[in-house]
Amino acid sequence: MIVRQAHVFREKQGIDLKTEHCVEAIDPAAKIVEGRTHEGKKFQMPYDKLLLATGSSAIVPGLPGFDLPGVMPLKTLEHGRRIKHFIRDQHVKKTVIIGMGYIALEMCEALHARNIAVEMIKPRPNFLPWMNEKLAGMIQKEIEAHAITLHLGREVKQIEKSKEGLRVICPNLELEAQMVLVAMGVTPNSQLAEEAGLELGPNKAIAVDRGLLTSSPDIYAAGDCADAFHVVTGQRTWIPLALRANRAGWAAADNVTGKETTLEGVAGTAVFKVLGLEVSRTGLSMTEAEKYGFNPMEIMIESRTRAHRHPGSSFIGVQMVGDRKSGRLIGAQMVGKEGAAHRINAVAVALHAGMSVEAFSQMDLSYAPPFGPTWDPLLTAANQLLKSM
Amino acid sequence: MEFVIIGGDAAGMSAASRAKRKNPKIKVSVLEQTSDVSYSA
Repeated sequence: MIVRQAHVFREKQGIDLKTEHCVEAIDPAAKIVEGRTHEGKKFQMPYDKLLLATGSSAIVPGLPGFDLPGVMPLKTLEHGRRIKHFIRDQHVKKTVIIGMGYIALEMCEALHARNIAVEMIKPRPNFLPWMNEKLAGMIQKEIEAHAITLHLGREVKQIEKSKEGLRVICPNLELEAQMVLVAMGVTPNSQLAEEAGLELGPNKAIAVDRGLLTSSPDIYAAGDCADAFHVVTGQRTWIPLALRANRAGWAAADNVTGKETTLEGVAGTAVFKVLGLEVSRTGLSMTEAEKYGFNPMEIMIESRTRAHRHPGSSFIGVQMVGDRKSGRLIGAQMVGKEGAAHRINAVAVALHAGMSVEAFSQMDLSYAPPFGPTWDPLLTAANQLLKSM
Repeated sequence: MEFVIIGGDAAGMSAASRAKRKNPKIKVSVLEQTSDVSYSA
């Protein structure tokens, strides 16, 4: 999805946008960046203020066969084009997706919608390991109900050319496909920053303060390449998502143009759709909560997306986590046919406000039969969690 | 003032647009290694 074309930035907004310009080094002492154009022409550019917005890249392992034609990552617009053309030109009817994160699941849905058979494979045994097991199980069931096979706990060792196209090889398992999508996660593009001596944070993302400034006085970083503070833990984290990237870009620009701005941080709020289900989360999972020294308690409740007898009413599952030490609400997850995606925002706001589970259980949330039961599923979850804490 | 941005996607183009809007006198340059800018994946 292209938001705005290059010529609009150049002609209407007066931005000197140079595409096909690859920066190869930053000299923070001389305040110069240098690099090469696609034609191989060297360039240098002096700066007063610099913003690193280098993004992230798809992780592609250096195993045999991952460079074969038809084995493709999905991160950039160009990757999307390549996949689309490959499907068309090779009449792809059968694919393997390596990875089962949300990009992998969104791809699985997109391919299924084009009547392309999908098998998914990942090395670890748990499907969506950050998710409450029952909720993860619902998503797994939904996927398998669409004739998509999930191979869990299978580590791909190599990919070979075969008669059908490609053969994905694991110990005791071989899968045939015409196309293999690599959706094994992303890593921050922080190499330029690291080489320039800038400090790095979690996952080797560029460490920035609340004003997006790096460890170097005139260099800012924003977007997928930079870290952020987590509003629940107060610690640095790396959760590269679009809203944070846009917001951090704005804040960096404000600081550069003289309006001092700081950002509170991220709560890890995320949503995705897979086949007939909406999936959402915010805050910490149980495992994360334990890792950060909370004394977490988790509940999972089942509720309805509309009032009891209302036509179209369906199931919604809500997981909620509270900290027994402080009473604080620290996370939630939801799965449902509808009403799971936007409902999570109420919890995100509560996390930013540092609310307790008890305070959240008192919130005056909306009700009308087409939108939920009298007690919103989030309130039912908060009530249950409060009892068990 | 010269404001240089490396990367022309969400963060980079948001910053470029915002900086130019806040202060049109600033020279804003964006260096993008691909041919695509400002897309949402």
